[in-house]
Amino acid sequence: MPVKLVKIEDASSLLLERIMYTKRYTLSLDRGRCVGCKLCEAACPKEAIKIVKPSDFKDIEEPPKRITVTVLEDKCNFCGICSEICIFGAFKQNINGEEHIPVLESESFPKIIHEVEVEESKCPVGCKICEEACPLNLIEVSFDEANSKVKVDVDKEHCPGCRICEFKCPYNAIHTRKIISGTIRVDNALCPEGCRECVDACPIPGVLFISNDGKVNVNDLFCVYCGACANVCPVEGAIEIKRVSFHHAPVKSGAWNKALERLTSTLNMAKELRSKSAQRTYDSVRRLQLGGRVKK
Amino acid sequence: MSESKPEDIRIGVFVCHCGLNIAGVVNVKEVVEYARTLPNVVFAIDNRYTCSDPGQEEIKKAIKDYNLNRVVVAACSPRMHEFTFRRCVAETGLNPYLFEMANIREHCSWAHPSHPKEATEKAKELVKMAVAKARLLAPLEPIKVPVTPTALVIGGGISGINAALDLAEMGFKVYLLEKKESIGGHMAQLDKTFPTLDCSICIEGPKMVDVARHPNIEIISFADLVKVEGYIGNFRVVIRRNPRYVLEDKCTGCGECSAVCPIEYPNDWDMNLGVRKAISVPFPQAVPLVYRINRDYCIECYKCVDACGPRQAIDFDQKPEEIELKVGAIIVATGYDIYLPEEGNLYGYGKYSNVITSLEFERLILAAGPTGGHVVRASDGKRPRVVAFIQCVGSRDVNKYPYCSNFCCMYTLKHTIQLKEHYGDDVEVYVFYMDMRSHFKGYEEFYQRAREMGVNFIRGRVSKIEEDPKTKNLIIHAEDTLLGEPIELEAEMVVLATAAIPAKGSEEIARILNITRGADGFFMESHPKLKPLDTPVDGIFLAGACQGPKDIPYSVAQGCGAAARAATILSKPSVTIEPIVSVVDPEKCRNTKVKCGICAMKCPYGAIKAEPGMPAQVIAAMCHGCGTCVAECPADAITQMHFTDAQILAQIDAALEKNPEGKILGICCNWCAYAGADLAGTSRFEYPPNIRIVKVMCSGRVDRDFILYAFKKGAGMVLVGACHPYDCHYIDGNLKMRVRMDALAKALEKLGLTPDRFRVEYVSAAEGVKFAQIVKEMAAKLEEIGRDRILAENEKLRPHLERMLSKRR
Repeated sequence: MPVKLVKIEDASSLLLERIMYTKRYTLSLDRGRCVGCKLCEAACPKEAIKIVKPSDFKDIEEPPKRITVTVLEDKCNFCGICSEICIFGAFKQNINGEEHIPVLESESFPKIIHEVEVEESKCPVGCKICEEACPLNLIEVSFDEANSKVKVDVDKEHCPGCRICEFKCPYNAIHTRKIISGTIRVDNALCPEGCRECVDACPIPGVLFISNDGKVNVNDLFCVYCGACANVCPVEGAIEIKRVSFHHAPVKSGAWNKALERLTSTLNMAKELRSKSAQRTYDSVRRLQLGGRVKK
Repeated sequence: MSESKPEDIRIGVFVCHCGLNIAGVVNVKEVVEYARTLPNVVFAIDNRYTCSDPGQEEIKKAIKDYNLNRVVVAACSPRMHEFTFRRCVAETGLNPYLFEMANIREHCSWAHPSHPKEATEKAKELVKMAVAKARLLAPLEPIKVPVTPTALVIGGGISGINAALDLAEMGFKVYLLEKKESIGGHMAQLDKTFPTLDCSICIEGPKMVDVARHPNIEIISFADLVKVEGYIGNFRVVIRRNPRYVLEDKCTGCGECSAVCPIEYPNDWDMNLGVRKAISVPFPQAVPLVYRINRDYCIECYKCVDACGPRQAIDFDQKPEEIELKVGAIIVATGYDIYLPEEGNLYGYGKYSNVITSLEFERLILAAGPTGGHVVRASDGKRPRVVAFIQCVGSRDVNKYPYCSNFCCMYTLKHTIQLKEHYGDDVEVYVFYMDMRSHFKGYEEFYQRAREMGVNFIRGRVSKIEEDPKTKNLIIHAEDTLLGEPIELEAEMVVLATAAIPAKGSEEIARILNITRGADGFFMESHPKLKPLDTPVDGIFLAGACQGPKDIPYSVAQGCGAAARAATILSKPSVTIEPIVSVVDPEKCRNTKVKCGICAMKCPYGAIKAEPGMPAQVIAAMCHGCGTCVAECPADAITQMHFTDAQILAQIDAALEKNPEGKILGICCNWCAYAGADLAGTSRFEYPPNIRIVKVMCSGRVDRDFILYAFKKGAGMVLVGACHPYDCHYIDGNLKMRVRMDALAKALEKLGLTPDRFRVEYVSAAEGVKFAQIVKEMAAKLEEIGRDRILAENEKLRPHLERMLSKRR
């Protein structure tokens, strides 16, 4: 039976399917959420993801308007890594109609932790500051006025962790943690006159802005270090993003180590390995202590 | 091989009466008298039956009494008794290759009974030709080569498994080479076998295990054949093992690695209906049970490495490895592939999801298959209530594969019976067929059983299939040829019995082994009746479906048969090869000065090596003695033993000494055209007696010079007789001759030769009528052209021919 590979794409979505007699694998991309960063491309172990510019779409009717990604059907093996690494939650992978990421189950890839905790008891009824502050409209606040209770729903799956909500909250009710830690630097001496490509590409308002002197400035407090800005920057070296680490559940996996190396750097990957081995040593010493074989 | 000086040569001629078979037409006494007048003939006598014991005794006595050193027997065809007389001559201590025969029965008395006078004349000339050749014969020693008592079996299907097991049981070391990860072949993919319905893997599995356990068998799986050099008894085989990234000697087959692997990919062993892990075996009973990582899909998370733990069987750094083996015999058992009619979506396959092939159906109904043995539709996962089987998809189709694929009728019957057994009256089964072929033991009864179970058989070819876009049911349009009416049937599933086709890679195997493939792409046997397991290359045998589609019992029988054939070589310390091989004169070979290598290129067996700057070299054991290289050599540096230029030209000389312009000179290959002429005689098809035939082993030996020389000598007509294009006993010597002769014919025509005077014809050993017809036509043409015109043409041609021939000596 020939394996059926179906690929449908337009401005708003990409659908890739591998249809077999007994199984159906689906990978979908919501282009409304894709910001054109390169996280998935860097993480993909099969080089199945390619950055595409609007000009690359000549043969489809409604091409995407900004930089995005496409998946090569002959290379994708439906492992689900892209779906997990995308901090904006733009990818979804289904197997037989159910959301399923095989690499998470086998711990071949870590669960990326989107951490947003709300202490709803601290929230006064009527306050919607966080809802209004979220640049991606992921927070919905509702009130139970009779019992004067507040409910804050956060769509964590799609939250890249900019932390704006936490900073805007006057009641110290929201605690977040960045998914990616790192640094961003803009060398605005290199900026071409009047260029604002990066500012337009950045998914988080206020991270990049043009000051009165017409230069691009950066506020790295809210930066998620996705890299969408650097991908559109016409000048090499004008924007430099260095990612250091990801907030993730612990795993032992060669695939993650390689992905991490590509996403951050060899040094940072090595650092993670070292801290992991330090943790292991600590754990085994603890075990021996508990067994009473080593004196405290 | 020092040649005797002319005065030393003492020839004895023995003319046979063969009762009245010869003497009834030919005046034997006159032939004997004539023979005595020939130079170097010191003794001539007639016998009633030369081949009988008294006849042979007479030869032996004469050799002693008259100190004979050459013997000519004028009797029947050399294809009949040459071997007998060679042995007789050898018994006296004379070299058996100092013997020559004149065929005065099949080619003379039997062919010209109404013209005794002309027949006697012809018999005399045939004797003269034999004596002329005998004068130039040289003693030859048979070539002995040692034998390596090991075998290589290529292909680990049921045929190869049986060949390997039998040879191993006989005590020979066997290498069983398998391209895929596991041995077992197609049989391991099947659910049940016909007509007994026993479980396929249950009967094959134990055999596979036997192979793995046998101390004399080494399985080399997931490996490719790269190169084969050498010859019978002494093959050097290069094999490339592809990396599994799992070490064979360390893997225990526990499967813990597969359990933790997150990646799945389509399992082609399951016809892509199901999936397998990136580290896995194709099926649980695989032999050898060694896991493999498919790096095309692996994401290198190394979970398998963890799972394997201290066994340390996983090695991501494994590289392809080339190994070299020495074997004495090779059995090719590479099997077949199933045709998938994806291209053009034949009957909607690949386009409509509920159209599948029979092998896919096999995986569906198999309890261990991807659906757990439930026959369900791809479109909705529901069980079909109406299933239609379509026969001969691709087979018996002149536009695809014209042959019958042999086992499709039977497996379809099996599928229908299985469906009926599983679901009873809850499923309607239809079979669209052209002819139901159920020969062999128990097959017809099986067909009967299917009919009794209520399977509907409709005789007629399906014209097209359409899909109902809503229900995904299939509407079949066909003609019921028994009713003579068009019919339409809505089925919920359609199963296509697609053709069995030559296995992928057959072409490469054929090239590496130098064996031939038929027009259908399957390997060619040496002889369809008497050498069904042999290939034209000595020491290489065929077994199973690689030679043509075969069912299981037939493949098993062939595997065992091929093992027995291989054992005939392996059981001896050495093999003898006929010494009629080619020899290169290094002085004359121009490969030393220029880049020539024509002989190496034209040799059908790759038996000639022409290294730059070195004279070409014939590997005697690989040479089959067709003589193609001799005819092709531009420097006349190659000689074929026992069929030298001098010998053949002497025969032509003798044949055309008297009245050349009234004669047809024939040069025929031993296997087809010469045998066809024999058959014409045996069948008593009369033809004009003015043809004289020179025998060569292969028409590939026919040098341009032979034709030029014959016309220079004044021949009226020349005929070259060869095997039909794909029947050549030396692979394609005849085709090389054809190219050479076509070019020559054009050149001769330009010089003024009437084109009808030179013919090249394909005559098989079965075409006695055709041979007689050709000679009749040529004789009539000869008459029509007329003696005067021929003489005039020859006169005009002679200076050109002399110029063309002068190049050689």
